[in-house]
This record gives sequence, structure tokens and C-alpha cells, in this order.
Amino acid sequence: MSIGLVLLSVVSVLILFGVAQRVLDKMQLTDRAALLIAAAIFFGGLLPNIEIGRVSLNVGGALVPLGVCIYMLLKTDTAREFWRALAGSVITAALVFFLGRLLPDEPEKIWIDPNYVYGIAGGIVAYILGRSRRAAFICGVLGVLLADIAVGVMNWVKGIDQQLMLGGAGALDVVVLSGLIGVLLSELVGEVIERIARRDEQSRREQYESRSRRREKAK
Amino acid sequence: MKKRTRAIAAWLALALLCSFLMGAADLSGQANERDENEVYRLMTPDFRELTQVTGKPDQGDEYISGDNMHYRVTRVDEANKTAETELIGAYRMPDVSWLDESAMSVTALRRAIALYCTHSDESYEPTDGTSSDEKRGGIYDVADAFRNAMEEKGVTVYQSDETHHPHDAGAYRRSRQTAMQLLEEGVDCIIDIHRDGIPDPESYETEVKGKDTTQVRLLVGRSNQNSGANKDFATRLKAVADKVYPGLIKDIFIGKGSYNQDLMSRAILFEFGTYTNEKEDVLTSTRYMADVLYRTLYGGVTGAAGVGSDVQYKNSKTAPADGGEGKGGWGGVLVLILVAGVALLIFAFVQTGSGKGTVHKVKRTFQEMSGGLFGGRNRKKD
Repeated sequence: MSIGLVLLSVVSVLILFGVAQRVLDKMQLTDRAALLIAAAIFFGGLLPNIEIGRVSLNVGGALVPLGVCIYMLLKTDTAREFWRALAGSVITAALVFFLGRLLPDEPEKIWIDPNYVYGIAGGIVAYILGRSRRAAFICGVLGVLLADIAVGVMNWVKGIDQQLMLGGAGALDVVVLSGLIGVLLSELVGEVIERIARRDEQSRREQYESRSRRREKAK
Repeated sequence: MKKRTRAIAAWLALALLCSFLMGAADLSGQANERDENEVYRLMTPDFRELTQVTGKPDQGDEYISGDNMHYRVTRVDEANKTAETELIGAYRMPDVSWLDESAMSVTALRRAIALYCTHSDESYEPTDGTSSDEKRGGIYDVADAFRNAMEEKGVTVYQSDETHHPHDAGAYRRSRQTAMQLLEEGVDCIIDIHRDGIPDPESYETEVKGKDTTQVRLLVGRSNQNSGANKDFATRLKAVADKVYPGLIKDIFIGKGSYNQDLMSRAILFEFGTYTNEKEDVLTSTRYMADVLYRTLYGGVTGAAGVGSDVQYKNSKTAPADGGEGKGGWGGVLVLILVAGVALLIFAFVQTGSGKGTVHKVKRTFQEMSGGLFGGRNRKKD
């Protein structure tokens, strides 16, 4: 393999690792914890899958992100945030499931890669429901996992003997990517909306102050 | 805390129940979706039909025709099911003059490729009796034949028998896991085997070396960092096929998806014929295609098109120093760094709202991520 291709693979992994660390860092985790979890996702993804019957679980692609979600659910500040995150993940799961059915399936007609859409769906749901980065991560991760379980059940009900793989692609699995995209999206949308709101409030305050000054002068 | 743990358990149970209900409902029933597929015609600038594709293409999609002319889709007319294209020009195909080198000898340390089928239901109607088999489609017979042909050449083939039902957009999410497992074997390339959904069998029927067979379409996704390298690999395959089995590779379609080609720089999607072709004709093409892949990966001299790392070649008299395989890789690195840099700047600007703040934010990010190695110590307490 040429140096260019080797470097391409290395840079891809480094950037994904950096993004994962940054995203985890934004969810009330310390620098060190974020780094450790990102490493657990990457190296856990390389471990052999855990097989339970026809279900195959990847450590880095499913178990570590699931563990982070449960930890964050237990650490939510308010009961409302807690319930919103859970409701959001079920809604995201339904969205992921139906998007899978509705989006184009043939390669020639795909207009946006479905693997990126699920994270966007999770981010939007989480933002609408909770305006929280942690909720966005939970929605992205649990949403995809639950949708995968739904598809697995659907196949088994139909009599199709297909293995249910959860997070099988490790750090590059859609479970992880959706969690990361969800947080980044909610961060971006949240910051833009908050900035607009802050600017409006500032201009209102300035108008009020200049009116007060004029009134005082008039007196 | 106990209350929350119970609540999490209850919600997960409820979510699992919902999943079960969603699954059991199986709203659309994908039994024979082939009938619903639309066929679009790609038209040249002077409105001649170039080819047909399954489903609506998108503006910006690219197409390299059988005669290596490069087109880009400029407008899609949904009413008439046509896509207008602009001619970019003759595609500069890779130099494969090394194929003529008769004295070439190859010593391979290890040769391995991987095969899988994302759309596990895909079948050939005249032979399999259906275009979509919900258990295990006829496409697996094509994959088996391709594997056998490669193994006869001494190549180790890691082929996944996993299915990825149902045939919907989520199939790529499921096959991604299969692809990732196959990549752990350290293969030289990974191939996703499909068949097309164009109703007209003649669009793929051809004759190669006097035998009735079907053509192969190559698909490259342009929504990933490996796009340049994958396109490079596809054109390399076509250049070899054009020389050894003219007419075998129908064309190359460069669409908007990723098709899991972000996982490897030599990942490609083959469409072996269409669902209305006889499977026997398709199976014949697998032998030719295996030869093309073998020559592209291992049959050249270092750097011409070969993998380099796993194969040692002698006699490189006519080989270019680097056949250009690295170009796509370097391009991908630049694009990736550029995209990551721009994204970082946008985020920093959105958060701070000023140029000065953006610079400070970017600096602080690097400080935190490098543990204070770049730009001073990390002041954030653990």
C-alpha cells in the first residue's frame, strides 16, 4: 500500500479519535475520562465479539457506548432531562427504523449516506426534546441499537436466521458515529440559537437603556 | 438512584417491546420491491441515451462510460425519468502497459481479498425464479463462483455468508459490521457483490472471448474520505479489463453514497449483470472479473497497480515509479484535514462569535487534547 493510502487511514482514525474525545469531553466528563472512554471505544472495537446465541455484541461499538449512556442517564441533573433522554431514544429508534425503510436502498439512488442520517435524526430529536448534549449522545446511541434490535426481531419473526450484530464495526460503527454526530449537531444548533437569543436580548437591553437615558435627560 | 435504575430498566424493556412490535409489524413487506424501482436514462449533452441506472441519480453524480468518456449529471428530470449530463472529457485512464511484460515474475508473500453481499436477497429472475429471495439470494452463488475463481489463482478469499436483510437503506449499516470483521483479516481489497435492477437484460448482455456473458458495472461512492483512492482503483480495474477482456466492464458510476467504502481505500462495489439476466451468463463473467482483479492487484510490477506491501515483484523495467495509486490517498488526506479544520473553525466561531475568540478556542482545544504539549499547559482540572 502506498504511503498516501497508509497516511489516509491513519489520519482518518486520528481525526475520529480526536472528535470522539472532544465530544465526550463536552458531556460533563473530565479530560482523562473522555480520553479513556474514547480509547475503550477504539481498542474495544478490536476485541472479539461477545456471542450470545444469534446475538453478537462488540465491546467498543456497543457495550462501551451503552455503558456511557447508562452512566449519563444516572447522572442527569433533573428528572425531566432523564425522561426526555429516554423518550428521545425510543423516538430516535423509530425514526432510524423508518428512515431505513424510506430512504433509497439502491446505491445509484442514494442522495445522502444513510449511515450519517441516523446521527442527524438523533441530534434533532435530542435537541427538540431536551436541548442537551448528553441527551443527543444517548438518543444517537440507543436509537440505533434499538432500531437494530427491531430489525433483528423482524427477521426472526419472518423465520430468517440472521445474526443480530450490535456495534459490530467497533469505533466505526453507526452506533458510535450516530452518538458523535448527534452531539456535534446539537452543539452547533444549540450554540447558533443561543447566540441569536443572546444578541436579541442584548439589543433589547441597549434599547431599554437608551430609552431610560433619554427619559432622564427629558426630566 | 435506585428509582432511576428501575426506571432505566423499565424504559429499556418498553423500548425492546416497541422494537419487537415495530419488527413484527413489518409495515412495507419488501417481498418484491424490484417492480417499484424506477429506471432513469442518463443522456448526453446532445440528448443521446448514455446508459440506464436504477433509481433517481443526483446532480453531481459522475459517470465514466464504456469508452472512457467522463460525464457529470447536471439536471434530473423526474417527469421524463432522464438525467442530463455534461461531458467533462476523455478520462485519463491509468497506464497498464506493464501488462505486456512477458518476462514478469511475481513472488507474493500473501494475497487475500474479502467478499460480502450487502443486498442479500438479490437474485436472477430467469434462473432463481425470483428477483428477490428473502432467505438467501442467488447473488451468493455469484460470490461463490468469484471466490472459487480467485482461489484457483492462489488468492485467499475471506467471504462472508452473513445476510443483511431486509433490502432497505439500513442494509449498508448492517453490512458495515460484516465488512469491518472481514477487514480484520488484513485483506488487499474488499468487494461488495450486487446485481443491477435494470429490467432490460440486453443492457448487460455481451460476448467476451467468444462466450456469452454479462457485463460488470463498478460503483464508487463519493461521500467519503477514500473516494479518490476508490475511484483510482476502479479506473485501474477498468483499464486492465479494457486491455484483457474488452467490453467486460460496462462502466463506472460515481454516486453520492458511501457504500461503506470509507472503511478501506480499495473498497469497491461490483454489479454483476441485472436481475433479468441468466445466472449462468453472470457466473461466466466472474472468471473474467477474477482475472482482472488478480492482474490489477498482483499481476503488475511494484507501483503499477499492485498492492506493494504484500507482494514482491521482479523485473520492473517498464513500470512507472508510482502508478498513481497514492494520488487518491494523498488527495483524501488533504480533503480530510481540510474538512476537519474547517469544521473546527466553524464550531469555534459559533461558540465564541469573534475571530480572536476563535483563535483562542482552537488553541485551547489543541492544548487540552495534547495534554498541554502544544501551546502551554492544560489548565482544565481533572
